[in-house]
Amino acid sequence: MASLRLILKSVVYIVVLAFGMVPAAGQDQGPVLAGKAESLIVARCIRCHAGDEAKGGLDLSTRIAALKGGKNGPSFAPANSEDSLMWQRVADDEMPPKSPLPDDEKRILAAWIDSGAAWPDQPIDPFRRSTARSAGYDWWSFRPVRSVFPEIADTKTPGANPVDTFVDRELARNDLKPNPRSRPRDLIRRLSFDLTGLPPSPELVRAFEADPSQAHYLRIVDTMLASPRFGERWARHWLDVVRYGESTGFERNEPNFTIWPYRDWVIKAINDDMPFDRFARMQIAGDLENPGQEGAAASAFLVAGVHNTVIGVSRRMRLLARQDELEETIGTLGQAFLGLTVQCARCHDHKFDPISSREYYGMIAAIDGVQHGERVFENLDAQVRRADLESRFESVSARIAALEARARASAPVAESRRPEPKRKDLPVPYAMWSFDNGPEDEAGNLHGQLVGGARIESGALVLDGVSAWFRTPTLKKYLGIKTFEAWVMTDDLDQRGGGVISLQSNDGGIFDAIVFGEQETRRWMAGSDGFSRTASFRGQEETEAKTRPVHVAIVWDKDGVVSAYRDGMPYGTPYKTVPAKFPLNDTHLAIGLRHLPAGGNRMFRGRVLRAAVYDRALKPAEIERSAARESGFVSPEELAARLGPEAARQHGELRRQRQGLAEELARVVAAPKPKIYAVQANAQPEKMRVHVRGDINEFGPEVAPAGLKALGASSDWGLTPDAPDRDRRTRLAAWITSKDNPAFPRVIVNRLWHHHFGTGIVETPNDFGFNGGRPSHPELLDFLARKLIDEGYRLKPIHRLIVTSEAYMRSSDPNPVNSATDAAGRFLWRHAPSRLEGEAIRDAMLAISGTANPAMGGPGFVDVSVTPNNGTTYYEPIDSDDQELQRRTVYRFSPRGGRSTLLDTFDCPDSATTSPRRNVTTTPLQALSLLHGDFTVRMARETARRIEAERLPGVEEQLARAWSLILQRSPDSVEAEMSRKLLERHGLWAVCLGLFNANEFVVVP
Amino acid sequence: MSGNEPANAANLGLSRRQWLTHWGIQGLAATAIIDLMSRDSRAADRSRPAPEEPHPLLPKVKRAIHINLVGGLSHVDSFDYRPELIARHGKSLVTDETPDTFNGKIGLLRKPDWRFAPRGQSGLMVSELFPHIARQADLITVVRSMTSESANHTPALFYANSGFQFNGFPSLGSWLSFGLGNESDDLPAFVVLPDQRGGPNGGASNWSSGFLPAEHQGVVFHGGAEPVRELFAPTPEGRSAEGEILGFIDSVNRRHAASGAGDSLLEARMRSYALAARMQLSVPETAAIDGETDETRELYGLNDPRCAEFGRRCLLARRLAERGVRFIQLFSGGPIAGSPRASWDAHENVSQNHGAEAVRIDKPVAALLADCHRRGLLDDTLILFTTEFGRTPFAQSEGNVAGPGRDHNRYGFSLWMAGGGLKPGVTYGSTDDIGWKAVEKPSTWHDFHATVLRLFGIDHTRLTYYHNGIERRLTNVHGEVMRDILA
Repeated sequence: MASLRLILKSVVYIVVLAFGMVPAAGQDQGPVLAGKAESLIVARCIRCHAGDEAKGGLDLSTRIAALKGGKNGPSFAPANSEDSLMWQRVADDEMPPKSPLPDDEKRILAAWIDSGAAWPDQPIDPFRRSTARSAGYDWWSFRPVRSVFPEIADTKTPGANPVDTFVDRELARNDLKPNPRSRPRDLIRRLSFDLTGLPPSPELVRAFEADPSQAHYLRIVDTMLASPRFGERWARHWLDVVRYGESTGFERNEPNFTIWPYRDWVIKAINDDMPFDRFARMQIAGDLENPGQEGAAASAFLVAGVHNTVIGVSRRMRLLARQDELEETIGTLGQAFLGLTVQCARCHDHKFDPISSREYYGMIAAIDGVQHGERVFENLDAQVRRADLESRFESVSARIAALEARARASAPVAESRRPEPKRKDLPVPYAMWSFDNGPEDEAGNLHGQLVGGARIESGALVLDGVSAWFRTPTLKKYLGIKTFEAWVMTDDLDQRGGGVISLQSNDGGIFDAIVFGEQETRRWMAGSDGFSRTASFRGQEETEAKTRPVHVAIVWDKDGVVSAYRDGMPYGTPYKTVPAKFPLNDTHLAIGLRHLPAGGNRMFRGRVLRAAVYDRALKPAEIERSAARESGFVSPEELAARLGPEAARQHGELRRQRQGLAEELARVVAAPKPKIYAVQANAQPEKMRVHVRGDINEFGPEVAPAGLKALGASSDWGLTPDAPDRDRRTRLAAWITSKDNPAFPRVIVNRLWHHHFGTGIVETPNDFGFNGGRPSHPELLDFLARKLIDEGYRLKPIHRLIVTSEAYMRSSDPNPVNSATDAAGRFLWRHAPSRLEGEAIRDAMLAISGTANPAMGGPGFVDVSVTPNNGTTYYEPIDSDDQELQRRTVYRFSPRGGRSTLLDTFDCPDSATTSPRRNVTTTPLQALSLLHGDFTVRMARETARRIEAERLPGVEEQLARAWSLILQRSPDSVEAEMSRKLLERHGLWAVCLGLFNANEFVVVP
Repeated sequence: MSGNEPANAANLGLSRRQWLTHWGIQGLAATAIIDLMSRDSRAADRSRPAPEEPHPLLPKVKRAIHINLVGGLSHVDSFDYRPELIARHGKSLVTDETPDTFNGKIGLLRKPDWRFAPRGQSGLMVSELFPHIARQADLITVVRSMTSESANHTPALFYANSGFQFNGFPSLGSWLSFGLGNESDDLPAFVVLPDQRGGPNGGASNWSSGFLPAEHQGVVFHGGAEPVRELFAPTPEGRSAEGEILGFIDSVNRRHAASGAGDSLLEARMRSYALAARMQLSVPETAAIDGETDETRELYGLNDPRCAEFGRRCLLARRLAERGVRFIQLFSGGPIAGSPRASWDAHENVSQNHGAEAVRIDKPVAALLADCHRRGLLDDTLILFTTEFGRTPFAQSEGNVAGPGRDHNRYGFSLWMAGGGLKPGVTYGSTDDIGWKAVEKPSTWHDFHATVLRLFGIDHTRLTYYHNGIERRLTNVHGEVMRDILA
């Protein structure tokens, strides 16, 4: 081998001498040579020999590093190629592996080493140039979007659609003869399914056949673009891209019934033609920039993917699950908005695109504040209504109080007390305090002790909410099953967490208590240590306890069932938990304190007019009877007697008003609050660190949230690794939507093209990197991207431009001559026919049968049974004629693995990963589904019923109607005869079912 | 609107065609695939670099029956004999690392609950947990050094099926359907027979075709008169009209084709209706096991209520294999949680749980082996017996107790294979003395998948499908064929 090297070197010398470029002396030649050598290193060596994981430890990005060399020693000897390892390996064709350098490049390398091997001042960036195997910063999709298009100025047809200028040029270059315009019926069918996802009405087809002028076509285009159906149709395409699904996936696969606001937001944004840059920003940082329901709904983009909720206990598993989650999100985000597979750089630098692993971690740092969750919002309408009701309630209460004050002034309260109901009707308490005379237990001997400034006043225990409480001695009895009741007034309806009656271990560690406003504002709950036996009763919000005593009771029954009562009536609904285990002979009862230690929000502020504890579960009737005895206050009857007739009438009227207001208030308060599955932001995420080789246990350097160098806009956001979530995500959103980012507009206009023509200008809409497709019409792609920016990022003008081009309107007829050179029609000599998506097939049937329910928005309709089974969830298809189920498919509740044979077999994706384009398969199972599915058969019958109800003169007219509804054309005589025979044998429904299965129905020309 | 997938099929274009020809597949389905592919590959060539031409390897098997144990079979109680574990029963695990289990309780080492013995001519060690399978030990090849990335059920099950721990990746059956097409004209290429107690966690996501075209997804066969959903018209009226409706559709489509609108998509659709009609005959015929002899029924345990359910599925699997179904997957075990458990997830008590589960499948699986063997079917059929991960050699209990349950063990576990191209009656790799970690020839699911594909004559690095920026493989970027077990 050495001899070969020598021969080669001598060749170099001969060449060099021949051209008079003596390396050692040729100082002038240095920069040229160095430039060539640098290009060579960039193109041939640097992808493996740079960065944290440089092969063989050899880093060629700087001269110093190269001199230091890798594990085999220094890579070169200055000015001596013969002794340089680098030259030896290259000359022996060992490097680069599998693709040795051509001789001319070898000569450059040797000459350069011999000239002293000058390196550039800055380290060589391994991603600077594209190579035969990978994309660099100069890759086509990272170049700026062109802004000048001489093609347009040069066009010979003034007023031509610029789209055609670009397309026609390529057709001419490739010697392809474009098809003529489509037949009017075909064109309207194509346009209607494309823009609205629904078939055109027979009337529209007829009208266009009568007047197929351009002006008429434009009117139809504008009508369809303005139709709400447009947003429903095109939202589905976006939902595919963002892997929108309505269950968690993985083991549990639990349904997600609160993420639909995202779907509604997308539909509305598309219908309103929200500028696409804003559309993107809202999805990345909407919850930060637009706090409220809209921003939250939009942010669900980040959390719409599968989400593992069963992780295990080990730290490794938790970290891994989090890193997987971040990869899933950044992967979707990168593909959706940048056409880049950022996620491939998690374990190593991207193998094909210029994305370093470090950059990957900078990107996930940008979204590390994103957590999955459900956010509860106030219902804004209800809030306004509630404020109004509350103020009226307050004013009526004040007037009642004024009247009552007058009455009370006429007689002492204590004397006006009603006699107690007969004792035999009342349950016998274990302990009871009426506070009429003092802290004594009137049922047993649990005489209480006033603590922390508690006092008894006017027959009530007065609690200051700060330190006052009431305690009994240690109990002799074990109170597992029990009932607490209290007549209680609060000083403040907004206090949080005070205990009314509590059974607690003497150290306060274990307790069961009646608490007010603890987990839920203004609500009564059963408090417990660590909320271990606490759940919402979903009772109504308390509005009255400030103005009158209310009776509150909670029953802890056997088997851990806890139920609550207010004023003797059930308060919300009971729930089941596990009974407490109190220590034996080590508990006491407390009033005014949730649990020890005293203080904080554990203290109740208000009055307890009577309290009782039972050592059994009272029955509802017992509680009702007990509640009926009054405490402390003058009864309405007595009040009336003292007020005199006129004031008493007024008093009664006010009380009725107050009752009415209270009931209405309760209804408003009980109105469900909007819940939205969205980003639950962690405002201050931890510093992100690189995981070397993606290994969860290998921590590399800290990284600041940052973008990718490859894309024009500055990747350095000036953030530090400890930046808050707000800065991270708003900067990410700004960077992605920056006008300097060429990928952003290109990727979205290519998606539009993809859906209008069946194949994008780039046939891989999610991947503009090395592994993706190359643009068939690069200038056109840039023209459309520039146009989008000029249009303020509004998409409808781009749609309009595309669908009004001749290229779009061409017929799909075959042409064997063209097919010989361009079978796939990439140059658009025809508009490719397309098989309808599963959703469009279903929606079309609903529309044709006249049973479609056009209701927009809201929770999805559920056409599967949802069966939780031991930690997982099964979804089985169901069909019914329920109105809800007749809505458009975009409103379908769509769990992952949620089977619908029609949608499944017609290639609707399962939304586990982003799906920028649908597969198109043709299978026997598809045929079976369209022939036998409960839904399709029902649709055939409904269509027949609809036609029969139209009372057409005869069978012939009925059949013609079926053909025109389903295929938007009339049958010819043979078809009419075939149809008539089938109708006579089996009925009109059989004809309809047959037509739904016809190729012409599922394939749009 | 969607178009055809131009780039994707091209990667395999010619090679698939060769395979199809190699198998001598005839019939319309195969033709349709070839039609579509040859068209698409031309389209794709222009804008993307064509991958190198794959070289078909010599295939040993044509189809596989995969018995998938949900929940985690204890290898130290079944196929991995560790005398040292018996000797150290009741001692603590000596290690300075924290084992990555699911529940985190590290009890004392626990000996197997079943006695091991050498079996057959080969002397392969199989425990009394599977007495019937033990009698077929000379037919099976045990890999004792499996490892998994996940000790968490669903990711682990996805991983075993698809090479990835997440939803959305095609499973082995889908890849085989994609790579080799269908041997049968009138049955699906990939059939799934779930446990009657319920599907595994993740449900249909386990046999999803992921990003591969929908035709490669697993089709569930149910019991009863309509084994495949929507096989027949839902009403008697519909059934009596079916023939004429099909005739009508065919006439309408033919006239449409004749009008000049015809293309390969239309031809494929017309063929799909013909195939659907044939499926209506072939599916019930295949599912009807009544015609099997009493001896066969007895062999598969159909007369024993404890194992009749799994026995029926094993027998159906053999019938599907005979008729050319490429991949048949049987699940043993339903959802993970619940009490008593309906899977192999023996956290609480291995003896009770595995004892009960094994009785359900031992006799039928052994029967499947024996029956396929005597019919010669095993020569070109692969039987796979796998689980999610193993179980810990130490008990899942307090640190001072050798309790009756075992936790998840992803560091080492066993599976076995049987059929054409394999060395029978041997073991491959080994765990450490106590059966905790694979130490000799540690193997991954990617290695397993690479080996299975190799037996089918496929180089796992060349069976690819472009999806979102990556030429995806079943084996991701990993996978080494376990050459030592190849005959």
